[in-house]
Amino acid sequence: MNKAPRTRGQVLVALGLVMLALLIAIVLFGPVIAPYSPSKTSPGSLAGPTAAHWLGTDSIGRDVLSRLIIGGRTTLVITSAAVAIALTVGLILGLICGYVGGWVDLAVMRVLDIIFAFPVFLLAIAVVAALGPTLRNLIITIAIVYTPTLARVVRAPVLSVKRWDHVEAARSIGVGEVAIALRHVLPLVISPVLVQTSLTLANTIFTVTALSFLGLGPPPPDPNWGSMLAEARQFMELAPLTVIGPATAIVFASLTFIVLANGLREVLDVTASR
Amino acid sequence: MIRLVALRLALMLPILFGVSIVAFTLMRALPGDFAQASAGTTAISAEALETIRRNLGLDRPVWQQYLGWLAHALTGDLGTSFVTRRPVAGELLPRLAVTGELTLIAGLMAMIMGTATGLASARLRGATDWMVRGLNSLLLAVPNFVIATLIVLLAGLYFPQLAIFNYVAFVADPAGNITGLLLPALSLALTVSVTISENTRAAVLEVASQDYVMVARAKGLRRRTILVHYLVRNALTPVVTVTGLQLAALLGGSILIETIFTVPGMGQYLFDSVANRDYPAIQAIVLLSATIVLLVNVLVDITYARIDARVSYE
Amino acid sequence: MTAPPLLQVRDLTATFTRGSSATRVVQGISFDIAPGEAVGFVGESGCGKSVTARAIMRLAPEGTPLTVGGSIRYRGQELTDLPEPAMRDIRGRRIAMVFQDPMSSLNPVMTIGAQIDDMLRRHGGLSRQAARRRTIELLGLVGIRDPALRADDHPHQFSGGMRQRVLIAIAVSCQPDLLIADEPTTALDVTVQAQILRLLLRLRRELGMALMLITHDFGVIAGMVERVHVMREGNIVETGATDTIFTAPTHPYTSALLAAVPRLSERGTA
Repeated sequence: MNKAPRTRGQVLVALGLVMLALLIAIVLFGPVIAPYSPSKTSPGSLAGPTAAHWLGTDSIGRDVLSRLIIGGRTTLVITSAAVAIALTVGLILGLICGYVGGWVDLAVMRVLDIIFAFPVFLLAIAVVAALGPTLRNLIITIAIVYTPTLARVVRAPVLSVKRWDHVEAARSIGVGEVAIALRHVLPLVISPVLVQTSLTLANTIFTVTALSFLGLGPPPPDPNWGSMLAEARQFMELAPLTVIGPATAIVFASLTFIVLANGLREVLDVTASR
Repeated sequence: MIRLVALRLALMLPILFGVSIVAFTLMRALPGDFAQASAGTTAISAEALETIRRNLGLDRPVWQQYLGWLAHALTGDLGTSFVTRRPVAGELLPRLAVTGELTLIAGLMAMIMGTATGLASARLRGATDWMVRGLNSLLLAVPNFVIATLIVLLAGLYFPQLAIFNYVAFVADPAGNITGLLLPALSLALTVSVTISENTRAAVLEVASQDYVMVARAKGLRRRTILVHYLVRNALTPVVTVTGLQLAALLGGSILIETIFTVPGMGQYLFDSVANRDYPAIQAIVLLSATIVLLVNVLVDITYARIDARVSYE
Repeated sequence: MTAPPLLQVRDLTATFTRGSSATRVVQGISFDIAPGEAVGFVGESGCGKSVTARAIMRLAPEGTPLTVGGSIRYRGQELTDLPEPAMRDIRGRRIAMVFQDPMSSLNPVMTIGAQIDDMLRRHGGLSRQAARRRTIELLGLVGIRDPALRADDHPHQFSGGMRQRVLIAIAVSCQPDLLIADEPTTALDVTVQAQILRLLLRLRRELGMALMLITHDFGVIAGMVERVHVMREGNIVETGATDTIFTAPTHPYTSALLAAVPRLSERGTA
């Protein structure tokens, strides 16, 4: 249509990418940037911001900024690993279902419906509670929980795309099915998948931090944003900054992916859910 | 209409069946032993463990265990708590009622906030639209437990006289019960209202450009009539669906919010059960909440058909 | 012309503004419509004929501001500067309109009857029961069989032709002085087109209302209207009695349009 939304989408994507770069920097260079070791205690506990501790210290005198950086690393690694697995599995399942169709589609989608029926967060708690809160179990759990959404997002366009004329044309001149899937179907699926992946990343940050907040996150002593928020809650009236820090970090990270998703949606002209 | 209800319920059954299998295997696939867990943390002799195992029917094949469990679950027997040694169903129901109330209040709040902001955004456009959408994007990025924590923090800092952790039973003090749930409900409702708001906005914009709205204007109808009977009634259909589908999010969210505000609902029960490794309780909660979500989806379908007569004929 | 005009349009201009660009789609046209007279407006799509109708009704599509210049007088009353509430009393009550696409012109969530009732109760101040009786009468008038039963049906249970009948029933429900029909048959099957045109003709006679028939198809106006205005690019390029226009068009554009009318045998496949 007109030009305005496209440029606004580009601005959003650019903004999202800058925010994403900051998050990636934290993951890659966290230990280098962090001024202190996250477990190193210093004399003053629950202190306000000083030149030595920019964001103050927590209840046992650890540097809040350093813990935020290192904690962000944990949170983001779990998030991206889980989404990577969910994306891979979802992509494979969605492509197979949409492309093969028939009873395979029916069977897989019904199984995904079952997972879909559980409230995401409740299922995550139950699985983590059953398997035990280790890093690996957390990642697997969250991957399971978000696979159905991604599989559905892949499947829908595949179903419609594979009936399109140019796909028919390719088929009629003898292009192999695998080649058709890779060359004609996959590219058209990518836009909605990119948007949904971005949204899933935001949701996953919620789930990871929420689980950690409840004490079902990665085991201590490694800090993470969720558990930091939970710890800070006990003393928050004495040191509001210990709450504000992790809260802002969580919001920033999820905002990154929401901004990115909104921007991508406009730039790639994904009409769904608008 | 009856046929529609029957059909939707019938479609729900296989999924419910799958849900029960998931709920069953989840707790039987424990790394530890179910019998050991049932005995709690205390050391126990091998014979005593064997007796427990037999009492729980763990010596039978797995499919028999499942069928037995399912048969009991269907009659309302959700097992016995490892901790209190009382039937889980009896423990769960009062807590479910509390969560239900919280979810209902939150759902209503979200619907009022969501439809109001969405409608304002779509009808007034301009600065209002811009503000609502900006606020929505920001709100969407704030998880409900962060909102709840911040609400508690703000209340503690600026309104220390406000007692936030004072849940009272409805029968004891209805007004106090509801006001006590307002802040937890608000924390839950904000995120959900964003989804409703965005969908209301999109639906109203879509409906406003329809020919029948032009016809309504050509009929010389009053603005109010057009708004209520033409715009809102048509925009409602997608909004009802979205709101219904948000119930899963509300239920999941209440788990967190209840622990923060110490509301004795299902969420807190789940959390306690996880901490105590009370597996029958966890199993029951998982099964029940999935069933509720499925039932609400059916309810949404039916409401949808009530609003939009076309649906039932498809 | 001896009778004072029902509608008097002078130097009508209409401008759409989208963002910073403004497009003038009606370039200053003038015409009269006498009470009970049937007038045709013919031209290609985009010639400004529909916008002229919208300007008279003051109905711009949602989100596209339409600026109207010149003068539109209904029974001597200026409509262009009439306040919106007063204009709402004119719409439907004095000047009614039938649109092109019957499939999308009825509210899908309301029953057929309710969509006639709300009009009757708005303008006629009828009671619920009186409106209901009148609705059934109207549905019968436009040729809906079992009107008492069908009034409780929803639009999706009606075919395109039936829906257009319902929309006509809505339009004539308050016995307007002028009915504007904007391409009322374009979206319909050929056989149904003829039925709808006959219905309009009959209603016009029975109710004694004026008709402004807008179409791109000269075939539609033959036998329907007394006078024709041929429009092109926002201007009226030729005006005349229908018979004269058909037999002896003066403007080359009119001749071209007439030549484009498909013969009946070709129409079925179009």
